[in-house]
Amino acid sequence: MPLLKIDDKEIQVESGTTILETAIASGIEIPYYCYHPALEVVGSCRMCLVQVEGMSKLQVSCNTFIGEVHPDRKVNGKYDMVVYTQNELVVKERKNILEFLLLNHPLDCPVCDQAGECYLQDYSFKFGNAHSRFEEEKRVRPNEYLGSQIVINHNRCILCSRCVRFTQEISGTSELFVEARGYNSKIAALEDKPLDNLLAGNVADICPVGALLSTDYIHKNRIWNLEQKPSICQDCSVGCNVDVFSQQDQIFRLTARENQDVNGYFMCDIGRYGFHRFEKIERISHPMVRNGKSFNVLDWDEAIKKTADLIEKSKEKTAGIVSPFHTNESNYLLGLLMKETLGYLPPITGEEITFPTKFRISADRSPNLRGVNDICGDLVKDFTSIIKTRDIRGLYILDDGVDRKLDDSWKDILAKMDFVIVQSYAMTELAKSAHIVLPGLAPFEREGTITNDKGRIQWLRPSLATKGDSKPDWEILMLVRNALHKESEYFADLGEVIKKMGDQFPNYSGISLFKIGTQGMALT
Amino acid sequence: MNSNGTPKQKFIFTDSGRMEKILSQYPDKRSATLPLLHLAQTQEGFITGAIIDAVAQYTEIHPAEVMDCVSFYTMFFRRPLGTNKLQVCQTLSCSLNGADDFVDHITQKYGTKPGETTSDGKFTLLKVECLGSCGTAPVIQINNDYHEGLSINELDKLLDSIP
Repeated sequence: MPLLKIDDKEIQVESGTTILETAIASGIEIPYYCYHPALEVVGSCRMCLVQVEGMSKLQVSCNTFIGEVHPDRKVNGKYDMVVYTQNELVVKERKNILEFLLLNHPLDCPVCDQAGECYLQDYSFKFGNAHSRFEEEKRVRPNEYLGSQIVINHNRCILCSRCVRFTQEISGTSELFVEARGYNSKIAALEDKPLDNLLAGNVADICPVGALLSTDYIHKNRIWNLEQKPSICQDCSVGCNVDVFSQQDQIFRLTARENQDVNGYFMCDIGRYGFHRFEKIERISHPMVRNGKSFNVLDWDEAIKKTADLIEKSKEKTAGIVSPFHTNESNYLLGLLMKETLGYLPPITGEEITFPTKFRISADRSPNLRGVNDICGDLVKDFTSIIKTRDIRGLYILDDGVDRKLDDSWKDILAKMDFVIVQSYAMTELAKSAHIVLPGLAPFEREGTITNDKGRIQWLRPSLATKGDSKPDWEILMLVRNALHKESEYFADLGEVIKKMGDQFPNYSGISLFKIGTQGMALT
Repeated sequence: MNSNGTPKQKFIFTDSGRMEKILSQYPDKRSATLPLLHLAQTQEGFITGAIIDAVAQYTEIHPAEVMDCVSFYTMFFRRPLGTNKLQVCQTLSCSLNGADDFVDHITQKYGTKPGETTSDGKFTLLKVECLGSCGTAPVIQINNDYHEGLSINELDKLLDSIP
């Protein structure tokens, strides 16, 4: 293996890797704009120039490959390559490149959405000049829509072409191109073929400067006001890793979080903009019990006791309705609580979409169907007709928050029941017809594990605080279960629930939130 | 950006034999993009939106990639021009040897500023960058032919001789 020396550090690398890749892996900072690990190398920004011993000009480190040289040609008798990233020449060159990149840049950071996470800012701060020698008028162009959700500010663009390569290589749709050349170059899309694919939102994420902007987030907030929390997208069973950006428990945007085993660096627009549908829902903020046509508010102790009493009274005749929108733990606990779990509410499905780089959007638009099938065993496909034939008098329903119209067969079922307990975060039609309503949490408030369709278990962490008097779904079920058991059999916390779940289902044995971590783990 | 604002009628190569020959010359179809565009421009006079779509279809690439190519090269025209394109070189040698006088003369003679077309559609005056014939400056390219080292009088005669 070639031996490399970058500044003072000796590094042994595989032949064929580039200087930049090696530097990134070894924690040596080389600035770059156009390089992106998921995209082809073009070497257009010139920001990653370094000096290589024996080469007369500076080299772009993103496109300079390391190989083994003949023993006679090794530097100092042992190095296959010697690279300088901090010497005077490189530092001076970086200053110059930055000055060029900023020639026509408006420096409008005070109103730019990228401010705070902008590579132009960061590198100018670290490597740039405080002043520009450019005295001509800057080129000014108006903003343009590239697609319905993406706006481009040409003045801020440094033409790194990451977005163009993204549409060519990742989404495979090729809507973007570099129009004209030289001074007149700009990123463009044909008017009749706008950037409107389901991965379009990613171009705003991968833009290293503030040129590509998502209309959904533009001028909404400043990035340093937002709290960034790792989470999992819950809009299909792929389970893309995301970061949730929120302020005062209001989500402002989602971005993809890198996970090579699930989503790579990207996410789809269904998930990216999906959080908006939780904004205008009628939340349930307190436990409630039916009183004629309306509800009375209960405190939690009463609510848990009432629920436990109802279940206790007709234990043999109650059944649970689980949900692929809920965590493994909630579904598991409902299974423990009930004599049996029958099935889940009609699933949400869509079109299965696969992009050229194998990025997937699953046809199953619920996050945890695999987990439900793993944990809840034999679920009946058409459980509404089964209920009619059986002597079931009570239902405990984990509601998924989708506001469905209740059809007649459902109305018949609900009328037949002695009691219906609905655990939900939204006042759905189903919740309105319940006897007891228990307020659970909305998707980005939940905690627990979910299993994606490829059998990878991931840790869903709460990104937002709970609203009102609602409680985590697993905790409600745990409290009800504890109320029905002796103190020695109580569950104390989520960790214990996960452990018990593992004891019962060998696939899930030995897992813990700590082991799952931010990247998840494959079930055996 | 607009594909020239031209109505999207399907573009058909009249010289289909030539088109087929060009396509067959390249193992990778996308390599035929430039020659096909030239062929189409010869036929139509400029690059229409329909041409972009047709070339994209033959070369099996996205129309945006064809537009990338068209917009990069200055010899592809994206608007209708006159029958004869008077392309006056503006770069150093020609400029020093009186290229500006050519432009002024043509502007006076036909009342067209650079970039404009005469009202009868016969001439379009264009300023272009180096035509690579510095030794014989000033150079004017009329359609595909170079006319080198002309005086104003010779240019005048040349222009009058164009039918």
